[in-house]
Amino acid sequence: MARKQLEGIWHTSIVVHKDEFFFGSGGISSCSPGGTLLGPPDTVVDVGNTEVTEEIFLEYLSSLGESLFRGEAYNLFEHNCNTFSNEVAQFLTGRKIPSYITDLPSEVLSTPFGQALRPLLDSIQIQPPGGSSVGRPNGQS
Amino acid sequence: MSQSRRPAGVPADGNISPSVIQVIVKTPGHQNSFTVAGDTSVRQFKEKLSAHFKCQMDQLVLVFMGRLLKDHDILSQRGIKDGQTIHVVIKSKNGSRSLTHSFRNLITNNPCHQDRSTKGNSSGVCQSAGMGQTKEESSLLMESDAPKVGTQGPELDSPEHIAQMLKDLCVQRVLSNMDIMHQLISEHPDMQELLQQNPEISHILDNSEILCHILELARHLAVIQEIMQINQPAQNLEHLQNPQLYLGLETIPNGNNALGQSYDFNDQMLNGKQDFLWGNSFTALLAGQVLEQVQTPSQSLSPFSEEQWPRPPAQVIYANSCGLSSITPTNATLSNANHASKENPASVTTEGQSHVCAIQQPAGIPTLPSTAVTQELQEDDKGTAILVGSSDQGLEGDLQQSGEQTSSQLTGGMIQLLRNYPYMAAQMLLLMNMPQQSEQWKQQSPTSLQSSQLSDLLLALANPKTSQAILQIEHGLQLLATEAPILLSCIEPYLWGLGWLPPFSCVYPDTVPWTLNVSDMAEPECGPQSGTVLQKSQPPSGDPSHSLQASEVRFSKQMEHLQTLGFVNDNANVQALIATDGDTNAAVHKLKKSQES
Repeated sequence: MARKQLEGIWHTSIVVHKDEFFFGSGGISSCSPGGTLLGPPDTVVDVGNTEVTEEIFLEYLSSLGESLFRGEAYNLFEHNCNTFSNEVAQFLTGRKIPSYITDLPSEVLSTPFGQALRPLLDSIQIQPPGGSSVGRPNGQS
Repeated sequence: MSQSRRPAGVPADGNISPSVIQVIVKTPGHQNSFTVAGDTSVRQFKEKLSAHFKCQMDQLVLVFMGRLLKDHDILSQRGIKDGQTIHVVIKSKNGSRSLTHSFRNLITNNPCHQDRSTKGNSSGVCQSAGMGQTKEESSLLMESDAPKVGTQGPELDSPEHIAQMLKDLCVQRVLSNMDIMHQLISEHPDMQELLQQNPEISHILDNSEILCHILELARHLAVIQEIMQINQPAQNLEHLQNPQLYLGLETIPNGNNALGQSYDFNDQMLNGKQDFLWGNSFTALLAGQVLEQVQTPSQSLSPFSEEQWPRPPAQVIYANSCGLSSITPTNATLSNANHASKENPASVTTEGQSHVCAIQQPAGIPTLPSTAVTQELQEDDKGTAILVGSSDQGLEGDLQQSGEQTSSQLTGGMIQLLRNYPYMAAQMLLLMNMPQQSEQWKQQSPTSLQSSQLSDLLLALANPKTSQAILQIEHGLQLLATEAPILLSCIEPYLWGLGWLPPFSCVYPDTVPWTLNVSDMAEPECGPQSGTVLQKSQPPSGDPSHSLQASEVRFSKQMEHLQTLGFVNDNANVQALIATDGDTNAAVHKLKKSQES
């Protein structure tokens, strides 16, 4: 799992099958590992191994992108890249990503600062440039 | 998430029987809970799931802890216990071969060159469209969405929405048909507008290859957008500056007439640089001083202390060569014969990165009470000695406010003035180097200016009002000279200290004494000093011979007085004057003492 720091909030992505996948306000995107404008990751955490083939994984991602992780569903606090990374990590390996990442939004919101800025932060849409959207060329049955 | 209970194949009461487990089945976006027997085979489980999800068994892919579950596996053998989650992926009926293929296309950024009839191209388009940010591309995408969803507002330019739509098969079929695409593009009102504005792009639309490339570019638009955003603030700032400038200038009396002058130059200058630290101290100083002068010509001329001069601010220079390069440099050969127009800045040259610009005659400066300015200097939080109009006038606030605004205005007019009066260039150069080296720059050519200082001075001189003010000062002094020469002699030392030679002075010093005078001002750091200019204008310890000569020139008036009083020894007179800092009376006393002794 690749991690990049973005405005103080960890931006995470999943690297599998030599590709990096992340979720932003533009939906699920992919790029070569470290290929977004954010550059190479600060930290890489090995979440585990997976038997899921790339084919299945892409199907899975497509389904996700149409349901749970549409671009407009992006919310900086509650449904962000880390949410996605967590979801995908569990799918691929059964394990979650480290809790300090997923707990970050709640930590921020628990501070007066976070509460005060919440309306502003809620509207922030983050989409690290450099990736390509993951789509399903053929219609989902 | 919906939770549903599926009747277990084995009649059980849920979790009571140890062999019955409740597993959570997660599909993308959904989660269900299933109760099954622990010894259920995967195949049996799949049967259940296929009935639930209404799909065929071979479409189901079960993933547990990253491992794919084979049909012959037993759930409990794979370690699936109660409450654990099994991920299910339902493969599309068409198979996911093309998905992989298109994904590869995505990675290689090479979708457009695929066979258009394949899904690969569609996915390429889809993916590139997903990242499309520019108006053009998004309008293109919007057009592609039209068949499906009809016209929608510009808010649909959001990439995710577009990506969403593009995933639709129908949309992708359209995309893959270049004819339709071309038609869509051409008929889109935005595109038509673009075509009208730029007829040359019609050939772009005709070329499907180019269209493809454009769509490919859409993928990188995120990066382009970044760049655009970088440039946009600059432009926005420029626009911001312009209105602000004129606002500030209008608040200044007689500022309106300066607007027109400044306008063109401001545009030039603004377009060049992003530095908006217009709160140039020097500019503000001059602006304030000008006001000061204009409004209170009768105000007693207090010595202008050097600290009023801006410390060399560490500002990014305003180094716009386009505005300045047109100005020819003639500062090197300035002669004091151009004195009369000393209120005008000299020409500005650009040398490499540094801009040589002439400074407006600091004539306007002496009118400001040094103490007031000093205070302002101290209070300046910008790190530069912000010079504001005298506190007496109460113009400080306005000036400080408008200082920033006017600074850029000043630039335009200043440039013009600089161009017209090369003599001032040298002055500016000297003055700009003032705070730094008192001796060195005496010999330095005026061209070796710090660019940061140049910008300040440029700004300062840009205000035509400044030149007007200085002109008024000159007039006032001339009048004073004719009406009450004696008073002039009192004032003169102060003016001399500033390096300002009254036009009526018969003795026209060379640039050397000018240099000296300015260097005198350069001596003190821009710290709060309540000393008078005369103190500062003590010749630096650098060059005594220079000092002497300069002093002679400086104190020419006093010298005349002393001579009329009977002190014929010029040398002694000069010495006395130096010692007394131009105070004729004190010099007389001194000379008397020395004569007696």
